Amino acid sequence: MDFTLSKEHQLLRKLFRSFTEEEVKPLAEEVDEEERYPIETVEKMAKYGFMGIPFPKEYGGEGGDNLGYTIAVEELSRYCGTTGVILSAHTSLCASPIYEFGSEEQKQKYLVPLAKGEKIGAFALTEPNAGTDAAAQQTTAVLEGDHYIINGSKIFITNGGYADYYIVMAMTDKSAGTRGISAFIIEKEFEGFRIGKKEKKMGIRGSATCELVFENCKVPKENIIGKEGKGFKVAMKTLDGGRIGIAAQALGIAQGALDETVHYVKERKQFGRPISKFQNTQFELADMKTKVEAARLLVYQAAVAKDRREPYSHFAAMAKLYAAEVAMEVTTKAVQLHGGYGYTREYPVERMMRDAKITEIYEGTSEVQKMVISAHLLK
Amino acid sequence: MNKGIFVFIEQREGTIQKVAFELLGKANELAETTNSQVTAILLGHEIASQGEHLIHAGADEVLYVDSQDYQHYVTEYYTQALTAVIKEHEPEIFLFGATAIGRDLAPRVSARIHTGLTADCTKLEIDEETGLLFMTRPAFGGNIMATIICPEFRPQMATVRPGVMQVLTLDESRQGNIKKFYFQLIKEKNKIEIIDIVHESKHKINIEDAKILISGGRGVGSKENFNKLYDLADVLDAEVSSSRAVVDAGWQDRQRQVGQTGKTVRPNLYFACGISGAIQHVAGMEDSDLIIAINKNSESPIFEVADVGIVGDLNVILPKLTEALKVKLNEK
Ligand SMILES: Cc1cc2nc3c(=O)[nH]c(=O)nc-3n(C[C@H](O)[C@H](O)[C@H](O)COP(=O)(O)OP(=O)(O)OC[C@H]3O[C@@H](n4cnc5c(N)ncnc54)[C@H](O)[C@@H]3O)c2cc1C
Ligand SMILES: Cc1cc2nc3c(=O)[nH]c(=O)nc-3n(C[C@H](O)[C@H](O)[C@H](O)COP(=O)(O)OP(=O)(O)OC[C@H]3O[C@@H](n4cnc5c(N)ncnc54)[C@H](O)[C@@H]3O)c2cc1C
Repeated sequence: MDFTLSKEHQLLRKLFRSFTEEEVKPLAEEVDEEERYPIETVEKMAKYGFMGIPFPKEYGGEGGDNLGYTIAVEELSRYCGTTGVILSAHTSLCASPIYEFGSEEQKQKYLVPLAKGEKIGAFALTEPNAGTDAAAQQTTAVLEGDHYIINGSKIFITNGGYADYYIVMAMTDKSAGTRGISAFIIEKEFEGFRIGKKEKKMGIRGSATCELVFENCKVPKENIIGKEGKGFKVAMKTLDGGRIGIAAQALGIAQGALDETVHYVKERKQFGRPISKFQNTQFELADMKTKVEAARLLVYQAAVAKDRREPYSHFAAMAKLYAAEVAMEVTTKAVQLHGGYGYTREYPVERMMRDAKITEIYEGTSEVQKMVISAHLLK
Repeated sequence: MNKGIFVFIEQREGTIQKVAFELLGKANELAETTNSQVTAILLGHEIASQGEHLIHAGADEVLYVDSQDYQHYVTEYYTQALTAVIKEHEPEIFLFGATAIGRDLAPRVSARIHTGLTADCTKLEIDEETGLLFMTRPAFGGNIMATIICPEFRPQMATVRPGVMQVLTLDESRQGNIKKFYFQLIKEKNKIEIIDIVHESKHKINIEDAKILISGGRGVGSKENFNKLYDLADVLDAEVSSSRAVVDAGWQDRQRQVGQTGKTVRPNLYFACGISGAIQHVAGMEDSDLIIAINKNSESPIFEVADVGIVGDLNVILPKLTEALKVKLNEK
């Protein structure tokens, strides 16, 4: 057991950090205020190879690992939760399932441009009537000749509109329940596919969250991932991995809020001295720091387990559950320690607090993580 | 001998409102059981000539006030007239339509007379044993039916929901007294001056008040196709509403959106045309009395809440339905 990062990972962190400070931090406030997708940052991330970190070089990736990718999401999220989730949805939810479950042709056609960052990816499972109960899918896919005809809609899709490729779940056989769900790769340009409403959100406001509409959408037969009826498995495995990404996002948000606070309490003076001299401030900071470190170990443990190809769903669930709760708690305290200033939009901590909340909800709510963890425990 | 049933005859710009005829119908029925008379109270300007019509519609007697002051509804003037009528004639029962005017007027009269008033009744009957008026009304948003009595004070007053009671067929052979009612109006008491009466264009959208809603979803296909819904709405005197998908597409105004983030409606009849029935939509309309769904996909969840489900293309079904209804309604 070794709790220090390898040289390689330390160098990676340095790279991601300097990128975040130079490219992400200056835009974070504007992206939030204007609810604007930071497309220029995404293009730069593509240039630096961030969009395909854990995939082999032969598929256009960087040949890195999940720990490296996790650190990337963490570092980006330290200043901008929006940028963190853009990378996470792209890598974990779209490129990953193609890498893990796609055919060789699919990998060549779709994974390569995704990993190179030439194309952006998204993942579409949630529907108006199928959120936590993801198996209650109503979108249908019917095979007609060489094509599947897809009808239905998806909601809350991260990267919606900006993504070129979408992993979409649909029912190929209603009577078979979860075994009747199949996964498809759908291109933005496919006939009958349209982007619907963009949601207005509390946080991660720069990340486009959209409705997808399929009206007799024609999808070539060969765009099914794996076999018919295997889609639910693809979705669940994909989410296991995605949860590490969201855990990393939560971790980054918490760390960012902590950094801001440490800096602030040393400067702000009341009663003739910096507020960092009050013991309450010190103890709050101690709690925040301890929780962030605990969350970090859980997150890295899950990433390393995945890299070692060991079972990791329960690790991913624990990491996401805990890191999200820590992010919520730490950002709330960060606002408190900033006093009235923390409540204004002049300081970044209120944005971090708004961004933190979503990590307890998407890619499976905290409650779902508890179901996964307890099921593992009691099996 | 019972002292009679009085009905307030609501007129607007000289036109007697339908609810007045409905009340005369009901009063007539109540008068039969109590062996009493129906008196219509008509307030207005140059209106006396319409008294005859009220007799034909079921009144035994008409008391009218014909004056410039009564041309438009003015709370104080109307209240004074009715208070005077009641003091002089001491009726047993006094009925109002539960319209904006009736709801404003009845409580003021009842307070000045010091008697009981039941608002917005949907059922009125005389209890055989006691001879009291049983006034029944929905309470708590329609979840409870309350039957209310007013045992001691007189008259027993009620406002009655429009559209619930039956109009009698006009009987031109009926005879009755039409009398002017004299009383002293004290103008100084009035605190309201009518400056202007504005007629809102009928198309102010208020889907919450519509009795019938023709609601369209993404399945309607285009903004132009909504004309099919408007055609049906015209025939049924209904409003058009929609799902959020339609608002997002820019085919409809946000004011027409039904659902969790739109409006909650509970019309008597809700047509869901090309709406899949996402829970965010259904939450806003599931309490409608009758839901008719038209959807080409038989698996759509909307059919779980629909009372009547039609599987088919709304572009074909709606025009046919509109035509058929036109024919049927013309027959009437
Ligand atoms: C900004 C944003 C981005 C998103 N991005 C994507 C995306 O890219 N792709 C995608 O497919 N989806 C995405 N989602 C959807 C997201 O994953 C779902 O919102 C989430 O899974 C919860 O589903 P729901 O909103 O339907 O909540 P519901 O399932 O309605 O849950 C409501 C509450 O009930 C609880 N609950 C439900 N069932 C149970 C149970 N059995 N036991 C205990 N508690 C329960 C939940 O935990 C929650 O607290 C996104 C959502 C948001 C807001
Ligand atoms: C935050 C949030 C809030 C929301 N709030 C609301 C809300 O307040 N109200 C609301 O309505 N929605 C709301 N929604 C959206 C909701 O989840 C659904 O997406 C929406 O209701 C779908 O609208 P629809 O039924 O018109 O479209 P669809 O789901 O696309 O359904 C169209 C239907 O039309 C049928 N159809 C297609 N062509 C024809 C034809 N020719 N003839 C007959 N049938 C046809 C199809 O079979 C399908 O069932 C909300 C969503 C979010 C994310």
